[in-house]
Amino acid sequence: MGISFVRVYKANCNRLFLDNMDNENLVKDVVKEPYKYGFVTDIETEKIAKGLNESIIRLISQKKEEPKFLLDFRLKAFKKWKKMDEPDWAGLGYKKIDYQNIIYYSAPKQKEKISSLNEVDPKLLETFDKLGIPLTEQKKLTNVAVDAVFDSVSIATTFREELAGHGVIFCSISEAVKNHPDLIEKYLGTVVPASDNYFAALNSAVFSDGSFVYIPKGVTCPMDLSSYFRINSGDSGQFERTLIIAEESSSVSYLEGCTAPMFDTNTLHAAVVELIALDDASIKYSTVQNWYAGDEEGVGGIFNFVTKRGKCLGKRSKISWSQVETGSAITWKYPSCLLLGEESVGEFYSVALTNNLQQADTGTKMIHIGPKTKSTIVSKGISAGNSINSYRGLVKMGTKAAGSRNYSQCDSMLIGDQASANTFPYIKSKQPNSEIEHEASTCRISEDQLFYLQSRGIEFEEAVSMMVSGFCRDVFNQLPMEFAAEADKLLALKLEGSVG
Amino acid sequence: MNIIEKIKTNKLIDDQTEIQKICLHKLQSSPLPNPKSELWRLSNKSKFSNFLDYSINEKDSKFDMPYPKNSHSTIRLIIGENFKIKLTEKNYSIEQLSEDELNKYIKEQISCFDQNENWSDLLNLSLSCAKNILGLKINGSKIPPIEIFSHASSNSLNAKTLVIFLEKNCEIKLLQVNLGKENSSLSQSTFFCLEENSSLNHGVVSYGENRSNLLNSLNVIQQKNSEYNLGSLHFKFNYARFEISIKQSVGNAKTNIKGMQITKSDEQISTYTKIDFNGPNGFLDQINKSLADDKSHAIFEGSIIVPKSAQKTDASQLSRNLLLSNLAQIDTKPQLEIIADDVKCKHGATISQLNEEELFYMRTRGITLAEASKLQLSSYFQEIISFIPVSKDRWDLLDTVLNQN
Repeated sequence: MGISFVRVYKANCNRLFLDNMDNENLVKDVVKEPYKYGFVTDIETEKIAKGLNESIIRLISQKKEEPKFLLDFRLKAFKKWKKMDEPDWAGLGYKKIDYQNIIYYSAPKQKEKISSLNEVDPKLLETFDKLGIPLTEQKKLTNVAVDAVFDSVSIATTFREELAGHGVIFCSISEAVKNHPDLIEKYLGTVVPASDNYFAALNSAVFSDGSFVYIPKGVTCPMDLSSYFRINSGDSGQFERTLIIAEESSSVSYLEGCTAPMFDTNTLHAAVVELIALDDASIKYSTVQNWYAGDEEGVGGIFNFVTKRGKCLGKRSKISWSQVETGSAITWKYPSCLLLGEESVGEFYSVALTNNLQQADTGTKMIHIGPKTKSTIVSKGISAGNSINSYRGLVKMGTKAAGSRNYSQCDSMLIGDQASANTFPYIKSKQPNSEIEHEASTCRISEDQLFYLQSRGIEFEEAVSMMVSGFCRDVFNQLPMEFAAEADKLLALKLEGSVG
Repeated sequence: MNIIEKIKTNKLIDDQTEIQKICLHKLQSSPLPNPKSELWRLSNKSKFSNFLDYSINEKDSKFDMPYPKNSHSTIRLIIGENFKIKLTEKNYSIEQLSEDELNKYIKEQISCFDQNENWSDLLNLSLSCAKNILGLKINGSKIPPIEIFSHASSNSLNAKTLVIFLEKNCEIKLLQVNLGKENSSLSQSTFFCLEENSSLNHGVVSYGENRSNLLNSLNVIQQKNSEYNLGSLHFKFNYARFEISIKQSVGNAKTNIKGMQITKSDEQISTYTKIDFNGPNGFLDQINKSLADDKSHAIFEGSIIVPKSAQKTDASQLSRNLLLSNLAQIDTKPQLEIIADDVKCKHGATISQLNEEELFYMRTRGITLAEASKLQLSSYFQEIISFIPVSKDRWDLLDTVLNQN
């Protein structure tokens, strides 16, 4: 009896072991997912010569018919950039970028002035259609206003008239420079100054387009606003700039999406996003980032070096960042909140999925300056393949931040034994009457949970997807409806593979 | 930076030992740590330079043994006292490492040093003369508790080094006491090598006087099935750094750390820990507490490194901080670097002040605010102090700490 029992037990152990081995391999297979947006649109484009110098900056400014203050802003930033060194503290291993080998302005050729969407090049509309972005009239029913940015320029913005009826300005930043120069001059560079960091200085010098949003006093934006960034050209960088101003008691929800074709070379994307919230205003900024991540060998992919920062200037103002980061060869991004106004609130919800040789160094900075300010950070990192996924965040309580509170939670999930998950929280406090809490944990997809789900008739692939979705639930709950569905689908796609 | 100038010109020490020569040579190429590195960026520059201002003192002045003076059933050793140690009893033996053994071990360690990470050790070994290096080999069990003293003399910089080999199956309780004098700097480096199945309950109590400085570095290498427990307390230093590096070289080892630092007036005390799991089934439970009052600055940076080979690691790290004044400052950075996937790792950090509701409750029961604060603080301190071995019965640490607050 005893012997046979031992045998049975051993056999079961072996099966379990084999199952585990299988599961390990399956999980690895499951995270391999081809990039669906890697096509290139064959369209005639206008490009300027490669390289970066003062005359290139003057040329960009001239092409965009910018006022003098903006040219001065660009030149000043360029001067500062020349004196700066490329940061290396994040320990991201990448080949040195040759800044003289990048095209800083690339735009699809089209008619000078577009009065309606019907005049936009059908090829461009088709491109955005393929990407699932509702630019055409019949798709406008989705009730999301879109600003579509193709390489360096904005090609279309929908729902403008409807928004204008409410006093909301939603247009490309180039148009805003022409039509609302006073607002641009007042706010541009006030949240992210040109000298803030290396990539912000570069962006300030060469930014080509981006979105501008102005929500007047007391207005709740009637629909979600969205901008969609598409890199099409392989040798040009994308340097867009977004500026959102929410006046007193106004609110807006803004969505951002991005894709790029598959190229063997790395493309630089160095954007700057500035948000300003005045008294009682609220801004919700959501991103689903799906830039091309390079192939399995780590060839190609976007370098996503982005500076995003919001300033809660007014009392009881609120800025909320939510992001789902699945793409880019390298992501270097810390959406931050400067909490100046009394009782202002900053939030950061993030899911970052890395696979193959992707590297993500992302997190947030919550700088509490005013009294009774509050911030919440929820960060979920999933690392698979040989990727590196790091959370790097700063929570700082200034001397005047009495009664302020912060709560941070950083969870990592590891898939496979080659991926790495790091957590680097920097916590600084100069205010005794404030509270900071930080917690972090690391886990993996547990075999017991997978086994349980499978024994209930759920396919392996779906079980993995369900568990990842559950792991990210706290963040998905914060995303706007359309984005939550898209993000869930995107993660499921990334986790979909050869199984089933 | 008197010392650095002398290192640069090689005029620091006349009769250099072999180890001193190697370390001085390494330091000459870059005599100061990189101020921008994570380990040094928060370090107060003027305090650090004050540390290096005193001239080196190889002769120890008269040393007043602190309370308690009698040492029944405790072995007391003072680094720098010229004596030969050889204790052989029925169950255990403690003997001094031979010069060759000591040199060989230190040289091995130096070969793996990183100029920046191990700068404090390089400085210590450059300055420690042979007399100030104590090397011990300990074997056996039922060993009486050991107390080891390092102290600095006024207006000078003293460097003391301790190397201890714990043989297989050995179990000891060891308390290290670092004492600073007025206007002094003490550089203390400690190296422990824990063999299989050995267990060390280690306590570090460091306290100074007015304007005393401390650079305390602790390096531990653990073999499999060894257990290392550390309870540490640092207070009353103008400037102090406690750098802990623990390596579980083949995994399957256990580490428990409970540390505390208390800063007042304009003091700066920092703790840096690096725990390296180099094999599977490692265990770590770490808690670090800080208390910053007046205009002081307390820093904690802890890193846990779990490479691919360290499967089934179970590590947790908690940093708890009390900020008691508007002008004080706390920086904390617990960090995880994980590659192995089958691990349980977590960390947490909190910064707050004394619990107001608890204080209010006690006051409604007739306890004064001062007494209530003291009660809360004593419970905050007690968790750490009760973990420091040897001290419990002999040193009134809790009272000492509470009264200085």
